[in-house]
Amino acid sequence: MKSKLQGFDYANMFVLILISIVCVYPLWNIFAVSLSDGIYAAASKVYLVPKGFNVETYKYVLNNPRLGVADGLLNSFLYTVVGTLVAVIMTFITAYPLSKKRLAGRKLIMLVFMFTFIFEAGIIPNYIVYHGVGLVNSFWVMVIPGAINTFLLIIMRSFLDALPEELEESAHIDGANDLQIMWRIYFPLTRPAIATVCVFYSVSIWNQFLIPAIYLQKQSLKPITLVLYNLIISAGKDGTSLESINVNGVQLLPQNLQAAAVFLAVAPILIVYPFAQKYFTKGMLIGSVKG
Amino acid sequence: MQTALRSETAGGRGRRLWNGMWRSRLLYLILIPGLVHMLVFKLLPLFGLVIAFQDYSLIKGIGASKWVGFANFEKFLSDPYFWKLLKNTALLAFFNLLFVFPIPILFALMVNEVRIKSVQRFVQTVTFFPYFISSAVAVSILYTFLSPQSGLVNMALQSMGGEPVFFMSEPGWFRPLYVALNVWQLFGYSSIIYLAAMTNIDPHLYEAADMDGASRFRKMFHITLPSILNTIVIMFILAIGQIMTVDLDKILLMYNPSLYDTADVIQSYVYRQAFATRGFPNYSYGAAVGLMQSIVAFILVLSANKASKKFSDSQIF
Repeated sequence: MKSKLQGFDYANMFVLILISIVCVYPLWNIFAVSLSDGIYAAASKVYLVPKGFNVETYKYVLNNPRLGVADGLLNSFLYTVVGTLVAVIMTFITAYPLSKKRLAGRKLIMLVFMFTFIFEAGIIPNYIVYHGVGLVNSFWVMVIPGAINTFLLIIMRSFLDALPEELEESAHIDGANDLQIMWRIYFPLTRPAIATVCVFYSVSIWNQFLIPAIYLQKQSLKPITLVLYNLIISAGKDGTSLESINVNGVQLLPQNLQAAAVFLAVAPILIVYPFAQKYFTKGMLIGSVKG
Repeated sequence: MQTALRSETAGGRGRRLWNGMWRSRLLYLILIPGLVHMLVFKLLPLFGLVIAFQDYSLIKGIGASKWVGFANFEKFLSDPYFWKLLKNTALLAFFNLLFVFPIPILFALMVNEVRIKSVQRFVQTVTFFPYFISSAVAVSILYTFLSPQSGLVNMALQSMGGEPVFFMSEPGWFRPLYVALNVWQLFGYSSIIYLAAMTNIDPHLYEAADMDGASRFRKMFHITLPSILNTIVIMFILAIGQIMTVDLDKILLMYNPSLYDTADVIQSYVYRQAFATRGFPNYSYGAAVGLMQSIVAFILVLSANKASKKFSDSQIF
């Protein structure tokens, strides 16, 4: 404002920048290691810039089916795309009728949604149901059960609630039916809420660990999160441990390979982050104010 | 409206309701997929909870499995391990709350004081990012950094003449690491709500304080903090309501049998009852333990919500 920056401002900004560095440094270091020669990575000599720069690690990680990284990324991608599409449509078509005040029974239905939101049956009763409908070792376990998130349903409904009712009335007079009104008038107007919900769903499906850990035992179905677990965290326990190899004169050690796998798992998030940040903030504020 | 309805006969009211529903029949049609989804994936599992009172086998199904009353509950409550699990769950939740709750408030206060907008935006963008990283990735990074053979942390310790520390297999390190990882992932995200509350503070308050010659710290403590107190109280009540909810993903990713002494909590124990790679799955026992946890969590959330309503008009559920 009017006064000049004081010592406090500089100290404050210095600390905040330091905190920011702590937030990104781990990932940056992983990135640098993934592009380095194994000799330097093994001695922990890589901090900020890759040493012995090469992309052999990425080539090896992606072209080696035994590691499962390429398959894992592809699976996660498919789960995320199909899952988000289904979830957004399901959430919208459920929120839309529930936003109409003339719909008898809507309060009761919302109440049931709320109740199941707070009172969780838990992982074992869920397993019995999912098992019963054939979702064990099925692609669809990543898509269908999570298709309506109660929190996002509320966000979507609050948004629809805020749209003027006159829109619908005039369309009714022109002879449009509810289905036409929903798709032609309300759906385009709901775009900001759709974008928010889209971001929420896609990030959560991409990051999903518990569901695949319980339901997807088949190697060919595993998403990247499970592949990472096998390669890094439980490495050596179940025979998937990595060995050092020499490719085109470059030393590839477990450290490089793991770093490359981790970075590949985060890369898509980095790409969508600018949108994600914007819409996440919006959604959070709608959720907390209106809820 | 109310009185008009009341004066009608029951039959008339029924017909009116039916007519209204018939006019909205397309809306009900649109709602069907959502209702079926709710029925199968949200309500049916609740009925599945009856297996907590059975000796359930996946092959026999609920119909043919033997009923055992409260035997599963008695078994768990009389198991000495129950106290261990309860203690671990409570301690983990307590330490988590102790750090994960206040840090975003302090951070938001600091960010709010930054007067260069570009710096403010940069800091927010960067610190929000860890929230989007999956626990699988976060724990993987933790493993590589803390690895006794090649991790940066142990290399630094050794270069200073120390012994390598086996962070990921020492029970004493589990809680600090779990909490630190949670702070790292959540503080930027959680601070958004406080920052939003701070932007709503009337600038006249600060101007008046300036006239009186108030210092930066006085303004922080006498204007900014009291203005967001409502938000803080609500967030705190909600955090208390969520106290039974541990991050199961993170625990399953971080723990191994050598850490059970501190890392095994009620939810991870339930998980192992049904999905452990070795041993015979004990669905009923796990479901009984899970049910007790759900009931306690439910009561906590409901009372927290009730309490938060007292502090503000905005209700959460």
